[in-house]
Amino acid sequence: MVKCFRLLLRGLATNWVGTAGVVLTTSAFLLFLFMELLRLLQVVTNAYVGLISYLFLPAFFILGLLLIPIGWRIYRRARGRSTQELLAERFTPLLTERTRLYGSNLFGLIVLLTLINLLFLGAGGARVLHFMDEPVFCGTACHGVMHPEWATYQQSPHAHVKCVDCHVGEGLDGLVDAKLNGLWQMISVTFDLYERPIPTPVHNLRPARETCERCHWPEKFYGDRLDVQTRYGLDRSSRPHYTTLALKVGSGTGEQGGTIHWHVAPENEVRYLPAVEDRTEMRSVAIQQGDGSYRQYRNRKYLGWAGPNSAAAAGEAAGSPEPGGELSGWATEERVLDCIDCHNRATHIYEDPATAVDRRLEAGEIDRAIPFIKREGLGSLLGSYAGTAAAMTGIARGLYGTYAREYRAETLGLQESLDRAVVSLQEVYQRNIHPRMEVGWNPYPDHSGHEHEGGCFRCHNRDMVDLAGNPIAYDCTLCHSILAFESPEPFQFLLPVAEKDPERSMHQYLQTEFLRTRP
Amino acid sequence: MRIRVLLLSSAFVLLAGSPCLAQVAPAAGSVADSMAGKCMTCHKKESPGLYRQWYMSEHAKHNVTCIGCHGAPRGDADAYLHEGAYIATLVTPRDCGRCHQKETREAEHSYHATAGEILESADAYLAHAAGGHPVAIAGCESCHGAKIQIDAQAENRLARVSWPNSGIGRLNPDGSKGACNACHTRHSFSKAQARRPESCGKCHLGPDHPQKEVYEESKHGNAYYTHIDDMNLAADRWVVGIDYYEAPTCATCHMSATSKQPLTHDVGQRISWTLRPKISHLKEDWEVKRKSMQQVCAACHHEEFIAGHYFQMDGVVQVYNEKFARPAGEIMGMIEQKGLRENPSAFGNKIDWIYWELWHHEGRRARHGAAMMGPDYTWWHGIYDVAQNFYFEFLPEARRFEDPEINAHIDRLLSEDPMHQWIRTPTAETKAAIRSGELQENYRGIFKPE
Repeated sequence: MVKCFRLLLRGLATNWVGTAGVVLTTSAFLLFLFMELLRLLQVVTNAYVGLISYLFLPAFFILGLLLIPIGWRIYRRARGRSTQELLAERFTPLLTERTRLYGSNLFGLIVLLTLINLLFLGAGGARVLHFMDEPVFCGTACHGVMHPEWATYQQSPHAHVKCVDCHVGEGLDGLVDAKLNGLWQMISVTFDLYERPIPTPVHNLRPARETCERCHWPEKFYGDRLDVQTRYGLDRSSRPHYTTLALKVGSGTGEQGGTIHWHVAPENEVRYLPAVEDRTEMRSVAIQQGDGSYRQYRNRKYLGWAGPNSAAAAGEAAGSPEPGGELSGWATEERVLDCIDCHNRATHIYEDPATAVDRRLEAGEIDRAIPFIKREGLGSLLGSYAGTAAAMTGIARGLYGTYAREYRAETLGLQESLDRAVVSLQEVYQRNIHPRMEVGWNPYPDHSGHEHEGGCFRCHNRDMVDLAGNPIAYDCTLCHSILAFESPEPFQFLLPVAEKDPERSMHQYLQTEFLRTRP
Repeated sequence: MRIRVLLLSSAFVLLAGSPCLAQVAPAAGSVADSMAGKCMTCHKKESPGLYRQWYMSEHAKHNVTCIGCHGAPRGDADAYLHEGAYIATLVTPRDCGRCHQKETREAEHSYHATAGEILESADAYLAHAAGGHPVAIAGCESCHGAKIQIDAQAENRLARVSWPNSGIGRLNPDGSKGACNACHTRHSFSKAQARRPESCGKCHLGPDHPQKEVYEESKHGNAYYTHIDDMNLAADRWVVGIDYYEAPTCATCHMSATSKQPLTHDVGQRISWTLRPKISHLKEDWEVKRKSMQQVCAACHHEEFIAGHYFQMDGVVQVYNEKFARPAGEIMGMIEQKGLRENPSAFGNKIDWIYWELWHHEGRRARHGAAMMGPDYTWWHGIYDVAQNFYFEFLPEARRFEDPEINAHIDRLLSEDPMHQWIRTPTAETKAAIRSGELQENYRGIFKPE
């Protein structure tokens, strides 16, 4: 049998094309078997190897199989003989003789090998699709482009959720969409057709509610969620102060009535028309409630004079308050609000430098005992560096230099803390700054909340008015009670009001608001 | 960072554990009290700079909060509904006067309060005609004060042509005049700021009234900038010679308390001359006013020194008056009377601009220089410019009309007035007259104020 196989291979190696085909197919197959063996024996555990096993080797295998008949055709044309004659010439009688019921050995061998190929390709194909579903494929196949998203994903609350679980839709449609989309991405990467940084929002993301609500369903949101934000000062001891919010996260299904997740409660539907492509400003918002009532708010900036050249100004002149006919595409497509309109950075979370340092301080990675560490750490992150490698050296040299020069005596016993702080700050930089993709400090605003421009205030602002001209609600305590506000204590406003405190009015107001609005 | 708990229970545990639960219960405060806290809740985040200024201010210490000043009766022309309360963006002296009664009364009676009534002035005409409306708004009215106009369509009901404006003579919708924040910048409303010369220098500077520059040149300004840290500027009580003694600022001489007189927000009360018009004149009750000022000087200077200063200042003011301002005014009168101007409009002819700069710019510079001991402003930026203008721009331009009567008037002035005769006298003769004191004799009587 082995002899037959060897003879077959020799016969197929008609010319250099055929030979290449034989070599590629055989070696790809053997290598694949070898790699799989190593994987099964757990000798190789690096997921990156999957790229070779499941992408490159099957690709070479198929390429080889294609080259063999091509080589044969070239050979036949060159020799100008019939297939029968060539078969007799290329293969020993051992193979070509009709010895069996079903034909020659050659025929039998080809049938057998084809079966093996089909089996291999089937199993391999399944392995390839499976591998393509792995985050490591998404994160590393287009290494440079995806690196920022990959880096942030790995440190996110969704690090255990596969990319495809959110990014690829359900069923065959989703699969085909994703593969076609992937093809385009491959072309973009190959021919450098992509923007840096990658623009958001991703318009063809799979429907968020179908995705997110598999784990986070609206009925699950009730009561309050306590959010204690610790910020550290730029003083010697990096003194902490607190902003504590009791977030009214209810969806309106419970006894308490809904607030934040009221927007996605089953009986409500919120729709909006963006005013700008990145959806950071809205032209109008409409609300359909369970009882059938319907309310619309429109952005008065787009009703009145918004600038000498604005479409709205032209519309106003024509007496039409509605978006004019000159708008198209995203600007005319009303969108039903879903999870990612607010939680647009649930996973790929980029940090502001100050927040990043605060988090490391709170986690203890950076030791507050080091004098002025918030100020110095933040300063080191904000330096202008030529690249990531330069930043790593710069951060380390900058901090060690400063502390050796300015605070030598005070940091004598803190060398270990200082080492840890340097490493932590370097990690912050690596997570957030990606020069190759032109990703600087937080290029993507997070819309859950209103820490950045936008967020809740995209709709909840004084310019968004109903037909009677009354603005939509945008009270500070609409969505959260405030229990501390850059205060020295995490629950400052639950403490008694201090007589001499300039903020005593606010203290009293917020305390009352919190106690009054809870049943 | 984020703690996920059932807040309700935790909050009550916290409160129950607090011994002061009774005090925590909402007090039966006024509507304004409860609203005050609401304003701060948003504005602490949305207007952090403004909030911080207020937080560090005396107002914050005394529980004067947003609504206390901005709260407005519903019927006010500029009142609007904002987050459940009627407020007005504009805070007028009348609002401040609810607490600061004496200060408001004085300010409203001061010359400052009339600064907004400029529409009929030559300055306003010039800015509107030669400049344009936007120039008058952003220029003149920013210091003088605009007449606040209501725009029912505007969110805060204030028309953009007149808001923002913190001019010292602002004409407010409630009928009051002025803006306290012209000097006590919001939202810190600091005493220290108003006591600094920079505060006045916001308006009192430039080619037509360089009080700030004169002060900087003077020994007073010099001493102030040298000893600025010892000036005790933020003190509650600020009596010259007692709480500070290194130097006076604008506020010291024109407003602040001394050991013998109280603080006043009526800035004209210690000024004896008016140095503003074409020809300076002594103000009503000028002796009383001068005495008040001299009493400030006396905190640091001997009375002979003070008398000497006034003697010198009176001399310069009257030289300007008699030697240049009055003759120039007479010639302008003749041109006007004879209808010699080519264009009928004020400032439509070159001579109008020349004469304007003579008194409005150069003449004022000289007088202010002398009043506040700025030698360079008295002479090189002052009378030197006046003289050059008078002899070599104004008179030649007046002669261009070729009117025999005017020409004869000018000739007579130059040949008969002993202050002008030098121009037709050989240099050596004049020098000899200077050396002998003969030339100075011509000015002997000019030091005594009339």
